[in-house]
Amino acid sequence: MSDAKTPGPDAPETPAGALIAPKTATSSDRFGALSRSTLLRHTLFALVGFGLLLLLIRLLSDYRNTQLAPIALTTCAAAGLTLLVGLSGQISLGNGAFMFVGAYTTALLLEHWHSAHGNLQLIAVFAAAIVVSSLFGGIVGVAGARLRGPYLAGATLALAIGLPQIVNYQHLSDKLGGNNGVVVIAPNPPAGWDIYRWRSVLCCAAAVIVLWFLANVAHSRIGRSLRAVRDDEISASLAGLSVPRLQVLAFVISAGCAGLAGGLLAVVSLVAGPGAFPLALSLGLLAAVVFGGLGSLAGAVYGSIVVTLLPQWSQDVSSALNIHSDKITNNIPLVVYGVVLAVAMLAVPNGVQGALLRLRGLALSRLRR
Amino acid sequence: MSSSDGLAVEDVVTTYGAVRALDGVSLHVAPGTITAVLGANGAGKTTLLRTINGLVRPASGRITYGGKDLVRTRVEDVVQSGIAHVPEGRGVITELTVEENLRLGALWRGDRGKSVESLKQMYAMFPPLKDRQQRSADTLSGGERQMLVVARALMARPNLLLLDEPSLGLAPRITAQIMATLRRLRDEQGLTVVLVEQNARSALSVADDAVVLNLGKVVAQGKAADLAADEKLRHAYLGF
Amino acid sequence: MFKFLNLTLSGVSNGMIYAAVALALVMIWRATRIVNFAQGAMLMFTTFIAWDLAQQHGVNYWVCLVVAMLSGFVIGGAAERFLVRPVETGPPLNAVIVTLGLFIFLQGLAGMIWGNAQAHSYPPGFSILGYQVGKRTLLFAPNDLYIVISVVILVVLLYLLFNRTPVGLRMRAAAFNPEVARLLGVRVGRLLTVGWALAAAVGALAGILAAGTQPGYVAPSGLFDALLVYGFTAAVIGGLDSPLGAVIGGLILGVALSLADNYIDNNIEGMYAFIILIAVLMVRPNGLFARQHARRV
Repeated sequence: MSDAKTPGPDAPETPAGALIAPKTATSSDRFGALSRSTLLRHTLFALVGFGLLLLLIRLLSDYRNTQLAPIALTTCAAAGLTLLVGLSGQISLGNGAFMFVGAYTTALLLEHWHSAHGNLQLIAVFAAAIVVSSLFGGIVGVAGARLRGPYLAGATLALAIGLPQIVNYQHLSDKLGGNNGVVVIAPNPPAGWDIYRWRSVLCCAAAVIVLWFLANVAHSRIGRSLRAVRDDEISASLAGLSVPRLQVLAFVISAGCAGLAGGLLAVVSLVAGPGAFPLALSLGLLAAVVFGGLGSLAGAVYGSIVVTLLPQWSQDVSSALNIHSDKITNNIPLVVYGVVLAVAMLAVPNGVQGALLRLRGLALSRLRR
Repeated sequence: MSSSDGLAVEDVVTTYGAVRALDGVSLHVAPGTITAVLGANGAGKTTLLRTINGLVRPASGRITYGGKDLVRTRVEDVVQSGIAHVPEGRGVITELTVEENLRLGALWRGDRGKSVESLKQMYAMFPPLKDRQQRSADTLSGGERQMLVVARALMARPNLLLLDEPSLGLAPRITAQIMATLRRLRDEQGLTVVLVEQNARSALSVADDAVVLNLGKVVAQGKAADLAADEKLRHAYLGF
Repeated sequence: MFKFLNLTLSGVSNGMIYAAVALALVMIWRATRIVNFAQGAMLMFTTFIAWDLAQQHGVNYWVCLVVAMLSGFVIGGAAERFLVRPVETGPPLNAVIVTLGLFIFLQGLAGMIWGNAQAHSYPPGFSILGYQVGKRTLLFAPNDLYIVISVVILVVLLYLLFNRTPVGLRMRAAAFNPEVARLLGVRVGRLLTVGWALAAAVGALAGILAAGTQPGYVAPSGLFDALLVYGFTAAVIGGLDSPLGAVIGGLILGVALSLADNYIDNNIEGMYAFIILIAVLMVRPNGLFARQHARRV
């Protein structure tokens, strides 16, 4: 899968991409100056990737599939956050809240809308979840449009902590199920598929689509504009870019991805409840993005793998070390997230992807000699 | 001239990335004298002071004061060697009051009684500061701020004062006042001064010795009076 | 009418707690221009230490309080010296991420040491039975008076420290203009560490006061997270640069939350805080009493 790493200093980028047409632009692209060849390349990767994943799903055991599905859905949210934090430079700690919105939208729609065509309905429901959470993301983006740095972080932190409480609001608690949440009535998988593999298929399809979409956005004029705003707001706005509009757009896209992830989470875990969206979720997503390398979509994948498998690895490590205390084992992931976040900034500011790229760069320069 | 006396700068090279701001500068400042450091913008004058003070580390060369190696000394420790630096752009801490700025200057000495004494002396030397004692420093005019930073530096009871462009943006009358104060301190207390100035004329009128920098190198040094008399030099590097 | 006044009064003591957290945030902001997102977790940790001493070893309330503040001092100083110092200069995103890392790390560590299964209770300093005025009971008890007085004393002590002592003058100089301060012989690095240490001690006090207000307060996650948000909101209302603003912001927030809890719904306090925070920031992206101009030389 292609990544959206920030181009190095020798890449021919201009912040005023809107004003200067790149040489590879073709006329009929939805993504502005995204070249047809890039779009094709991304699509090819996506199709091949999805094919490989289908194979993987078939080959893996049920148990492994119950790990693959959360990895894939976390990738959706982490990739969206990568766009927001890495590409547009806005620190958001609230993507868990957008997942919350997507999850509840999904659960409530499935509860009240009965349809014979289960899985088509599911796609429609997910689409609705994306729309609702994108809208919500837009509202938050607009509210936070003038906020920068720690102020934006603090506001989104407040959102992450405050929004899930709404399930206990007296006028909504019966519809939203209070602390117990809403049970999800998921449609049956199509004939021939067992439930675990089908969930993996749904989540992986979503992840591939999200990554394809974001990769194209990153390479398009919009992506360049976002990077320009991130790097130098004043110059970007002098060059004619509408800073607030771009920042809100980043929020909308990121929230949509998180909303989809939330919807998938609801279907996979068969419930949408406030307990699934603690602050640790938003911080875990951030840790995934930082670990993988801010601004890198491939990094979002690595980060999601690590973050999803960490609880299981913690169990394994504890058993190996003969630690029988639950309280230690259960908290290993949190301690690791914390260390990753702190150490990453101090030691490896470009994350895993950055380290890999540097290694590749070193290897290539050796080969050239 | 004994080289363990006063300030000795030997072959100092200071770089900012690829740029050599100081390219092998050597000079000696005898105690109790006023030395003017002159030259055009970008000649390296400010960099010289910043290197002496430790705000910038030289790539090579030696700097000693009274025999003590300054290159290895940390910025916050330099004041203990008796060196006070008044940076370019004045360095008034605008969030503090006038008196707080002054008291800050003497804090490193840790002697309450003598500091109070010094404070009184400063108010006597610079009456406008006394009138504005408790006012926030950002209410001061340009000239008053310059007085404040010189007074603050003097509160540290330095024997070497490094001044970076004190006359910038000041009325000539005030500049003259400050220069006169410096001369008096040199005469009465043996204060050594290194004065970086763009306004070469007024600097040469108050200094004993002078050094002219251009593109990081010393192009002339000697007695101030001699340099002032050298017309070709003045036209080439000093603008008058 | 009485109800309204009573509710306002009830909001004051919580407001003072938020003010204390806000003060800690403001102190760190003024010193290093960083929002310490780990503040809530730090004060959670120090409260747990105090709880451990009180519960498991029967130590006296006041000794525990002192221990909490001292451990806060150590944790805060260590955090600045080892974690934050490298990212103090540089893009704000890095500092945000580092403090968030510390935040989750401390939560995880607390969970490892004391477990997540149960939320524990911490004793209040004084009685929580409201004062009686004639036939009515006020929503204000001796414990609330203790909270208010403690924070007021704290504010006065901090004011004296920063404005009337040499070390306070040095700390302000180090915060306002580190380069010039260095030229004057001020050990800037050391003082920034002290600034963080003091702020964390202030936070520790807030943690102990808060923990006594409700049963089941002491847990690695939950009410202490909310306290961070409330403290941040209070600090932002007042403007991150203003200690006085922190106190005013805390009071405003405390009263507002108390009224909203009663007149609207008492389960969604987090939502109120978010709405107030966003409302303030939309009007003034840098807080209500923030400085309009950047620091000048």
